[in-house]
Amino acid sequence: MSEKKNLGKVLFNGIIPENPTFRLVLGTCPTLAVTTSALNGLGMGAAATFVLVCSNVVVSLLRNFIPDKVRIPAFIVIICTFVTMIQLLMQAFVPALYEALGIFIPLIVVNCIILARAEAFASKNAPLSSAADGLGMGIGFTLSLTIMGAIRELIGGGTVFGMNVLGASYEPMLLIVLASGGFLTYGLLLGLFNLIVKKIEAKKAGKEAGAA
Amino acid sequence: MQKKSFRRGIHPLHHAHEGKMPTRNLETREYVSDIVTISMAMNIGAPATPCVKKGDQVKLGQVIGTANGFMSVPVHASVSGEVTAVEAIPYLGGEPVMAVTIKNDFTDTWCDLEPLGSVEHVDPAKVIPAIQQAGITGMGGASFPTHVKLTFKEGAVCDTILVNGAECETHLTADYRLMLENSVRIVDGLRAVMRALKVEKGIIAIEDNKPEAIAAMQKAAAGRDGVTVQALKTKYPQGGEKQLIEAVTGRQVPTRGLPIDVGLVVLNVGTCAAIADAIIDGKPLVSRITTVTGCVREPSNLRLRIGTVTQDAIGACGGFSDTVGKVFFGGAMTGLCLPNTAVPMAKSTNGIVVFNEKESKSMDESPCIHCGRCVAACPIGLNPYQIKVAADASNFEAADKLHVQDCMLCGSCAYVCPSRRWLTSSFKFAKDKLAAQARAKGGASK
Amino acid sequence: MTLRLSSAPHVHSPVTTQRLMLYVLISLLPTAAFGVYAFGIPALTVLLISMASAVLAEAIWQKIAKQPIRVNDLSALVTGLILGLNLPANAPWWMAMIGSAFAIIIVKQLFGGLGDNFLNPAMAARAVLLASWPVHMTTYVAPTFFSGADAVATATPLVLKNSALMDLFLGNVPGTIGEVSKIAILLGFLFLLVTGTVTWRIPVVMVGSVFLFSWLFGADPVMAILSGGVLFGAVFMATDYVTSPITPWGQVIYAFGIGLIISLIRQFGAYPEGVTYGILLMNIVSPLIDRFLPRKIYGHHKEAKKA
Repeated sequence: MSEKKNLGKVLFNGIIPENPTFRLVLGTCPTLAVTTSALNGLGMGAAATFVLVCSNVVVSLLRNFIPDKVRIPAFIVIICTFVTMIQLLMQAFVPALYEALGIFIPLIVVNCIILARAEAFASKNAPLSSAADGLGMGIGFTLSLTIMGAIRELIGGGTVFGMNVLGASYEPMLLIVLASGGFLTYGLLLGLFNLIVKKIEAKKAGKEAGAA
Repeated sequence: MQKKSFRRGIHPLHHAHEGKMPTRNLETREYVSDIVTISMAMNIGAPATPCVKKGDQVKLGQVIGTANGFMSVPVHASVSGEVTAVEAIPYLGGEPVMAVTIKNDFTDTWCDLEPLGSVEHVDPAKVIPAIQQAGITGMGGASFPTHVKLTFKEGAVCDTILVNGAECETHLTADYRLMLENSVRIVDGLRAVMRALKVEKGIIAIEDNKPEAIAAMQKAAAGRDGVTVQALKTKYPQGGEKQLIEAVTGRQVPTRGLPIDVGLVVLNVGTCAAIADAIIDGKPLVSRITTVTGCVREPSNLRLRIGTVTQDAIGACGGFSDTVGKVFFGGAMTGLCLPNTAVPMAKSTNGIVVFNEKESKSMDESPCIHCGRCVAACPIGLNPYQIKVAADASNFEAADKLHVQDCMLCGSCAYVCPSRRWLTSSFKFAKDKLAAQARAKGGASK
Repeated sequence: MTLRLSSAPHVHSPVTTQRLMLYVLISLLPTAAFGVYAFGIPALTVLLISMASAVLAEAIWQKIAKQPIRVNDLSALVTGLILGLNLPANAPWWMAMIGSAFAIIIVKQLFGGLGDNFLNPAMAARAVLLASWPVHMTTYVAPTFFSGADAVATATPLVLKNSALMDLFLGNVPGTIGEVSKIAILLGFLFLLVTGTVTWRIPVVMVGSVFLFSWLFGADPVMAILSGGVLFGAVFMATDYVTSPITPWGQVIYAFGIGLIISLIRQFGAYPEGVTYGILLMNIVSPLIDRFLPRKIYGHHKEAKKA
């Protein structure tokens, strides 16, 4: 049905070339809302990664049984199952993080990344490469959220992962942890990420042209 | 007298830009050059066809180029002497044009003239053909054949003739001198046209920075049927046809329309004087007043024979007084740059202005700061800064929607722009492109 | 002999961008001078730091982005000065620096530099500082006039009950460096009007609109226009060319909207002052106002009547 994919390439694809946050601009709602600290970003990313991998595998396994017409409800039911699982797990083992992320955990259900990967990748590919895709996307998402969370936490609070970095005399820039600061940070990082990727691609293209 | 004006516009510091040596108080001098090169394409429409050949002896006023159809006027010898060349010459960036070069014998022997007599008694039906025969075109700059302007399509009614003596351009004082020195002829010309078109009203409109001209014209108009003088505020582009109409009558020419659509005809003062010469003396248009100024030793108003080469005219004013940067025909707001000084002047050349190096320095565009000066200046009411954005992006369709076609390239916006943006040239480019597209479309549908 | 060929017009008005910016700087002089007179050396320090950082930020950015360095158009200096005048005299030095850098790099240069920013850089920077360090931004000192008396910190000038109108007018009230003296602001406005740098429309309509709505909402209208940053904002910030509409009627709508938003925020909002947000919100819509406002074009209205 589909050609065999290089698992490493599929995995890497989600981290830089198709980074869900900075390249595909998917799942912006949790990105903006929960990245007030690095830990929140990491927690959100990890939860989403778990759901992504599991739902991708299950969708891939069932891809030949789900009728096309009802595929979206079917995907959602699968995703819901895993979201409920992660929600209960977090409530049990990391209650503080669970409190911090609040409504955004159940909202993973409607995170565009997960539905988009189920639709665009898992429903057309074998379970193994779907798992790799989910993991890659999840890592890309987690990395982006953690970086953004760390930056916002650093500027807006002087700490990273709760550790004081900038000293006691630092007066935090409150705006950055507010919603408008989220947009600001997101926009600037988005621009910077794309600038770097473009530079790298241009260099690569230049090398290839040189080789040819 | 109540002074009238149009909406918006600019004040381009007329006196400051007239140059260090004002020409307005100098009496017009006659200058006749050794050689004249007379272009056959001095009017909008079809060029004339040369009807003399090298070696021919021609008399002053003799026809040397015959008109080609209705949208064309004949061309006359502006000196008497020997034809030394009939050849194509490059002309102001456009296509080469045929031109006749005559070596002056300085006898000024006129050819046989047929005067029609006093303008108040001439047969009205003979006026318009006489205007075409005399080779008269608009002398304010547009060089539209005057007889075409005076021939209306079926059903059009003209109630007033406006005579344009606004002379709103910088540097130029040619019309001003003409109004002082030849005021009666201007009124004569106006009367001839009024009688030919059976129009009751003729208004001579003059900017109020020329009070002597207003007085002279009022004196000349006294006792003449239906002729009045109207003072206008000194503002650029007061002498633009559409602005003049708005100022004097309050009417607005519809977009892409002509003044006759609102019952008006606008003639330049120079055109009126030429018409009078053609009727009273039977003389064709062979000379005109041209302001030669800028960095020349003796800025003057010269009565030049049509076809005088630019460098001869500059020489007649003592030559350059500084290192030359650029030379252009017309005023500084709309003037057309010359590639070299070998270009001969035409019937519409009302000024030859020389700029030194410093004045000619081209300025870099800096970013638009949205100050809105262009919008406040545009006499048409356009948004120049928006059109500029569209034109620079080669989005000519958007420029068209913003009515770039209504732009008359008066240069007001570019004059006031603090960022020195090349607004007018962008608009000209957009207009040319749109015209080319329209032509291509027309060709395709055929 | 080679002749230069260029398109008409061959002459230009002597007014350049640089000169306009210079006019704005000059018009700000009385306000700045009064601020320094009233608040002393700290005010001078804040103004100098914000101006220097704005110019430096612009030069450094243009160098990094490999753009022609255009700091000599003075626009960055104007932004820096206006931002400085928008800060309290006891603002810490780093706040002025961050504000200027934010105004120039994020608000102005990232959106394309002079002419392409959709928000007034100084205003946006002030909003950012206000949201980030609200305590520093709203702790005002009363003018000392070099009297040697200790500066008294007060919460916000808008809640002062005893400042007589005359004190408000002359500037004997706590507030940001630039907004306190109305008379200095009016002097600047007069200069801007005389030099033709701005027209009367935006400032007059904006102040009138604040007057009208304060009165409608039951506040003291005279007090409303004299207190806070209404006058300073109306003369120096709402009139920013780049972020205000170009068409005359557009300017009227824009200024009217600012006045309405200010009055709404002051009377019904959670913030004591609304000038910053009023101007920023109307900045955002000003391109739309220009775009959708019909223009009377010569020779077109008759056609429209027929149709």
